[in-house]
Amino acid sequence: MAFDIPKIDYTGRIKEIKLGSGDEALTVGGQSSYPFHLFEGEMPHPPRIAMEVYDSPPEEWPEAALEPFTGVTDDPVAWAKKCVNDYGAEMVCLQLVSTDPNGLDRGADEAAEVVKKVAEAITVPLIVWGTANHDKDTEVLRRVSELCQGRKLIMGPVEEGDYKKIGASAIGYHHTVIASTPIDINLAKQLNILLGNLGVPDEQIIIDPTVSGIGYGIEYAYSVMERIRMAALAQQDEKLQFPIICNIARETWKTKEVKIATEEDPKLGDARKRGILMEAMSAMVLLLAGADVLIMRHPEAIGLVRQMIGELTTS
Amino acid sequence: MLLVGENLNIMSRTIGPALRERNPRPIQQLAQAEAEAGIDYLDLNIGPARKAGDELMTWLVNTIQEVSDQPLSLDTANPVAIEAGLKVCWRRALVNSVSLQPERLEQTLPLVKKYNADMIGLLWGVEGMPRDANERCLLAVDLVYKANQLGIPNEAIWIDPIVTPVSVEINQVRACLEFMSMLKDIAPGCNSIVGLSNISNGTPAHLRPYLNRTYLIMLMKYGLYSAIVDAFDAELIRIARGDMPKIVKLVHRVMDGDRPDLSSLSKKEVDYVKTARVLSGESLYSHSWLEV
Repeated sequence: MAFDIPKIDYTGRIKEIKLGSGDEALTVGGQSSYPFHLFEGEMPHPPRIAMEVYDSPPEEWPEAALEPFTGVTDDPVAWAKKCVNDYGAEMVCLQLVSTDPNGLDRGADEAAEVVKKVAEAITVPLIVWGTANHDKDTEVLRRVSELCQGRKLIMGPVEEGDYKKIGASAIGYHHTVIASTPIDINLAKQLNILLGNLGVPDEQIIIDPTVSGIGYGIEYAYSVMERIRMAALAQQDEKLQFPIICNIARETWKTKEVKIATEEDPKLGDARKRGILMEAMSAMVLLLAGADVLIMRHPEAIGLVRQMIGELTTS
Repeated sequence: MLLVGENLNIMSRTIGPALRERNPRPIQQLAQAEAEAGIDYLDLNIGPARKAGDELMTWLVNTIQEVSDQPLSLDTANPVAIEAGLKVCWRRALVNSVSLQPERLEQTLPLVKKYNADMIGLLWGVEGMPRDANERCLLAVDLVYKANQLGIPNEAIWIDPIVTPVSVEINQVRACLEFMSMLKDIAPGCNSIVGLSNISNGTPAHLRPYLNRTYLIMLMKYGLYSAIVDAFDAELIRIARGDMPKIVKLVHRVMDGDRPDLSSLSKKEVDYVKTARVLSGESLYSHSWLEV
């Protein structure tokens, strides 16, 4: 008897969304099968990697993470340019850590001016990530949205507690919103419905399922992303047929296992290599779960993941 | 179907203080209101009742029996309080509940036999919540065996397969249904009961009745014997009393894979169909499930 390879019966497709503007705009999504299941369907656009830039000098980063950005960590514009020019970043993510009310608490106008300068200095798609404080993000992201009109930013996190005002601003100024929910498929669907009811077009929504790194619950993120894709592709759940973005770098580089110096615990091996591998492996796991955009930090980790994407997408 | 009213609960904002202050009026009023609403049993949920639970249960049972002759379900984790309640109940009581945790088996199960009561057999194992229908079967067989050993007949055991919220894990919602379809074969003669409102825990309050009513209909397909319910959901009670056969038939059709044309249905029917599709795992739950 002939053996038939079991095949998934797909009924849905992930929506395509365009990120950024101009010649270097990128399209993600469009899959008609599970991640990298090229033997079952299509993956018309490869996953993309955005390089992180902080809007104030990073604190408590391990040496290995700082070293590639020596001399630019106090200047977001120079940092973003370095990512694009020296490391070939196809996207940049500006983390607005300076606006944290529990930290520097920089005002919306000042923060938005920095975003504008970065947006003008580079042409690749730009992600702007707030602090998940609803009041502050509302203030900051609305100002950013207005000031960067026409740049087609990707901005978030937009949560159930602040989606109305930020969502309305994104509609008005044509930016993409990052729909962010705490590792829960039902809440992810609900927020997408709410954004749709508000009037945010489907092409301007990307899902942030909330992720964590290896050793810190990545399996939960994996499982929720996997279920999102199953609902989207095999159960025709239109409200989940969106691309997924994962803010993974900060989750791996803040862990104890990455921060401990080589000499502090030689058994753990070389700290630099350890950090890079933790980031690369966490990112790879999320790609297999369905990530379309990864926010990453170390150029060597990015290199490893890019290589894997290349190998998995060429037949 | 027998309905057990869930409303007399120590977590309630009116009943909690009344229990602590031994104030009979609000409690008696609620008991009477539940009876008028058409409830068969009154569940008396006094919580863990670690301190002086026996004295509280005795007072509560006596207070209710002054105004009501309905049978009572004694709902607490404290076996001393259960026994105190059983001593003063006039009618055959329901012990809520006996699980497979060793202390429940040792302390509460013998009381069921001693006072000739009915019991809720909660399928909660030594390792906690069963993960699927098969684990529920194993626990049910084990629990019934242990009860039978003490001389408790199957008819006195009301198996509770544990209903969990639809917003938490849809596979558990389905497993509970699947188990209900097998119960008659694995434990012949046993009755069944569910804590129905748990299906809608975490759902906005005004939407909870849709889930409660539809899940009840789905469980009825497999011969559900009784349910602990919100006594004041009039539509739910009408369903249980057989007064809404058309809706029941519609939901059962959806469970059988039928896809009724929504445009030919009334708004109420559409709501039931959408809810049945969510509860059967066919479409994914979100708080806006009725709108999509």
